Amino acid sequence: MTTTTTRILTVDDSPSMRALLNHALSGHGFDVSQAEDGMAALDWLAMNEVDVVITDINMPRLDGFGLIERLREGSRHRDRPILVLTTESSDEKKARARAAGATGWIVKPFDPEKLVAAVRRVAH
Amino acid sequence: MSFESPIPPNPSGAPPLERVTVMQGQALASANASIEYSTVLGSCVATCLFDPQSKVGGMNHFLLSEPPANLPGTQVDEHYGVYLMELLVNQMLSRGARKSNLKAHLYGGANVNRNMMKIGTMNAEFAREFLRREGIALMREDLGGTSARRVDFRPASGQVRLRTVEDRFAPPVQPTLRPALSTGDVELF
Repeated sequence: MTTTTTRILTVDDSPSMRALLNHALSGHGFDVSQAEDGMAALDWLAMNEVDVVITDINMPRLDGFGLIERLREGSRHRDRPILVLTTESSDEKKARARAAGATGWIVKPFDPEKLVAAVRRVAH
Repeated sequence: MSFESPIPPNPSGAPPLERVTVMQGQALASANASIEYSTVLGSCVATCLFDPQSKVGGMNHFLLSEPPANLPGTQVDEHYGVYLMELLVNQMLSRGARKSNLKAHLYGGANVNRNMMKIGTMNAEFAREFLRREGIALMREDLGGTSARRVDFRPASGQVRLRTVEDRFAPPVQPTLRPALSTGDVELF
């Protein structure tokens, strides 16, 4: 049996939130990389492989909606699981994320156990 | 007028503003010059943020509880604290502020109740550390001690008035628990 580490890119403009995510996910054996906004995520993804993207919505330069749309435009990340992790609770924003191609929607403050379970469920 | 200017006295006694009380667990932001945010703090901490360029200001008011049992290693519920701070930052951004412009004041965090072991200090330290990590300049702080405080903040000008008040005016200490409806629920599409 071979085991491979699930690689996750977390995209959030808050260093505090990235630190919490890194702590929660690394502690469960995931390989975690970080980007500070949608543009930084696109740059990182152009050079690196990842299994799951977890992204915030409200970010400077390129927000989470824009990031999802850009990733879905190309063939490389068309089927990549993308989980939105956000303080937003409106149904309109959730519907917009879904329409853009998000795989799931998680409301902050996140529960580490639920987040890990969601990542395991969507990771291919 | 700037974030460093106090609210001037109002000798005429005229009521110039709409006063909005910021309750525990709330985060509000505005660019409306007719609004004054007001809150009374015991062990709770209030963060005032101001963007001098866009003239947007905001205030939150929190007291973090001990972390849930499945999150050892921290003294307060940092997950919920980061969430409350992010709510404030997002309120600011949605009204036109830029994160790189944000400047902060911190108030409160008194250890009013001797039976509650330094909960005010722990909350103050969380707030300072959050601002440091986020790169938000802390321009002024009045934290700790044993006295309750009243903070008035005009979001459009950044002007602040800080007064010490009798402890009986501070709301009873109720550590902020995560809202029941916001427990990190996951919805897969």
